[in-house]
Amino acid sequence: MSEMMIQAENILFTAVMLIYFAAMVLYFVYVAVKKEALARTAWILQVAGLVLHTAALICRGIGSGRLPLTNQYEFATSFAWGLNLVSLIFIRRFSFHVLGAFSSPVSFLVIGYAAMQSREVHALMPALQSRWLGFHVSTAIIAYGAFGVSFAVGLIFLMRDRFTARGFMDQHIPDRETLDMIGYRSVALGLLFLTFTIVTGAIWAERAWGSYWSWDPKETWSLITWIIYMIYLHQRVRNGWKGRSAAVFAVIGFICVIFTYIGVNTFIPGIHSYK
Amino acid sequence: MRFAVILLILLAAVCSVASIVPQNKGEQWYYGSYSEKTASLILFLDLDDAYHSWWFIAIGIFLCVNLLMCNVIRIPQLVKKHRRYTDPASAGSYGCDVQASGIGDPSGIFGRLGMTRVTEAKDGSGREILFASKNAVGIWGAWVCHLGILLLIVGFGLGQMLMRQYAVYGVAGQTRQIGDSGYVLTIDDFSVELRDDDTVDQYRAYITVKDSSGQSASSEISVNNPASLFGMKFYQNSTGWAAAVSVYKDGELLQRDVICAGEYVTVSDLPDLAVYFNAFYPDYILYEGRPATASGRLNNPGYLYSIYYRSQIVGMNVLMKDEKITVDDYTITFDEPQNYTVIQIKRDPFTPLAFIGAMVLILGLFINFYMPARIMWAVRGEELVWSVCGYSPKGGSIFRDEFEKAIREAAPEA
Ligand code: HEM
Repeated sequence: MSEMMIQAENILFTAVMLIYFAAMVLYFVYVAVKKEALARTAWILQVAGLVLHTAALICRGIGSGRLPLTNQYEFATSFAWGLNLVSLIFIRRFSFHVLGAFSSPVSFLVIGYAAMQSREVHALMPALQSRWLGFHVSTAIIAYGAFGVSFAVGLIFLMRDRFTARGFMDQHIPDRETLDMIGYRSVALGLLFLTFTIVTGAIWAERAWGSYWSWDPKETWSLITWIIYMIYLHQRVRNGWKGRSAAVFAVIGFICVIFTYIGVNTFIPGIHSYK
Repeated sequence: MRFAVILLILLAAVCSVASIVPQNKGEQWYYGSYSEKTASLILFLDLDDAYHSWWFIAIGIFLCVNLLMCNVIRIPQLVKKHRRYTDPASAGSYGCDVQASGIGDPSGIFGRLGMTRVTEAKDGSGREILFASKNAVGIWGAWVCHLGILLLIVGFGLGQMLMRQYAVYGVAGQTRQIGDSGYVLTIDDFSVELRDDDTVDQYRAYITVKDSSGQSASSEISVNNPASLFGMKFYQNSTGWAAAVSVYKDGELLQRDVICAGEYVTVSDLPDLAVYFNAFYPDYILYEGRPATASGRLNNPGYLYSIYYRSQIVGMNVLMKDEKITVDDYTITFDEPQNYTVIQIKRDPFTPLAFIGAMVLILGLFINFYMPARIMWAVRGEELVWSVCGYSPKGGSIFRDEFEKAIREAAPEA
């Protein structure tokens, strides 16, 4: 049964990758040829991809007998899932399909990264057997997804002027103020969930290692990312950093997120390296 | 707030440098791993223990003072603002972020924007208005965040300063003092639970703690499931192998001690002679010429030992089951291999404060981001039509969109 589930997950995962790829291409074509119908099809594909992706994660969960959130592969695929979920919500909420053309490559890269990781199912070492790990990683998925969206919105903001000359995009990209607000909203969502991630991680560390904060490089980098977004919020209030500066910050913030996620494991050894 | 931003930038910069420099490795390590100049710079700047350096603590203290001042100073302002946001008389004094006129019945607009408590009142200039406010508490979001982070930093800082930590190790049946705490701990039982594939499923210990008056409490602990006894927390931290070392003289048992790998015993009637238990291999094999273990199971126990005489090493080997070491009149055996446990003990009365701080911070973020304060008021014009005005300092274009949607749905005539 569990073998079958893992096999099903493998097949679903490949299908999901292909669907996300197709959705990404459709979003690109939509931006290039400016046909509304393409955007809608891309959106439907993305929804279908997310549904299958959810099924894949459920299969893996059943197949491994635990939450599928415990190693680099599982976290990468869940991260792509979170990114798609949040981007779908934002695309729908703000009728903003151009966002898909910017967020789908990010999630495709992330799922591509997942595909490069080992998919073997291992039993969990004792330190990882904690429901707090489940909370920790699932909140991280949403946080990373939201920051991914803010990154995409930031890029759109920075490139907006090139599009607007073409008229069509003027109607399909929100005005500067709204775009800035969407960026702010996604940062807010990400920051709230990043705070959850850090706090649940601290609670877990306290239970597993007897210390809720040890300045482990990964902890420290999540704190740095958190501080960077806090600086952004204060600068918004203080200097009215909106628009361009905010967009640049969203891009830098996401680079930090990615560094915390991949870079720290790769370049700096620490407690999280076994993940 | 400028100083706050500078402090935050400084904190981020310091943390990123400190995360790259390995911490607490000892002076020699830095000279061995970096150039002479870099190593001296690291040591001079305390970057080898950055998070406990005076300047790092200073940044923390500045941040706390700044947060406290900022929050105290802003209370009167916020109270005033809160009153204004809930007081219809101030309605006219705001600019309108959103506006529509020619509306027959404004109640649907209020309803659609989630403003259920609409009051009839007079504004500052005496006009009759309908007034509603929503999420006035939202203006406290940043204040609550600041309070939360302040409690968190204070809780963490006090914990770092005043926390007591101990470690106790031993095998089942042993009783040990818990440092200078006045408590003793007995390890009633300890087991390493293996799965079929030989990986560790759980480390589980049963402990009893006794205070000086003889009161005792027992609990089970395993990784991720610490126990709280006598205001201290007990963690199953790690494990290793121990064994019983027996020393015979002329065939008679002289002594028998249970020691952990890494420990030694001295022979009672010849203290110059010591037996050191270097390492243990439960399933002994030679792998590439070195001793190793094929699994975690006790299939073929091998004890790596060394014998010291007057602090000079005189012999070293791996002892297998039923083998003996003979040194002059003495015969030494190893048996009863078993796992010992390392139990970590912590007393930090400030952890709950840091936890409360974290919860308050999350609450503050939620209020700040998801409860934007809004007020709306409708003024009756001539011919029984109303104009509606809305104000939301944080709502921006999203408030405008929602307002426009509400108008389209509830008052298309506008
Ligand atoms: C790590 C420390 C800090 C955290 C986590 C924090 C958090 C926040 C948050 C979440 C906001 C809301 C921003 C927004 O609405 O976009 C905010 C606003 C603000 N913060 Fe901080 N802050 C910190 C330090 C400080 C300090 C030290 C000061 C002292 C001067 C300060 C002054 C302010 C002010 C004046 C506002 C604007 C308040 C408003 O819009 O009502 N912050 N802060």
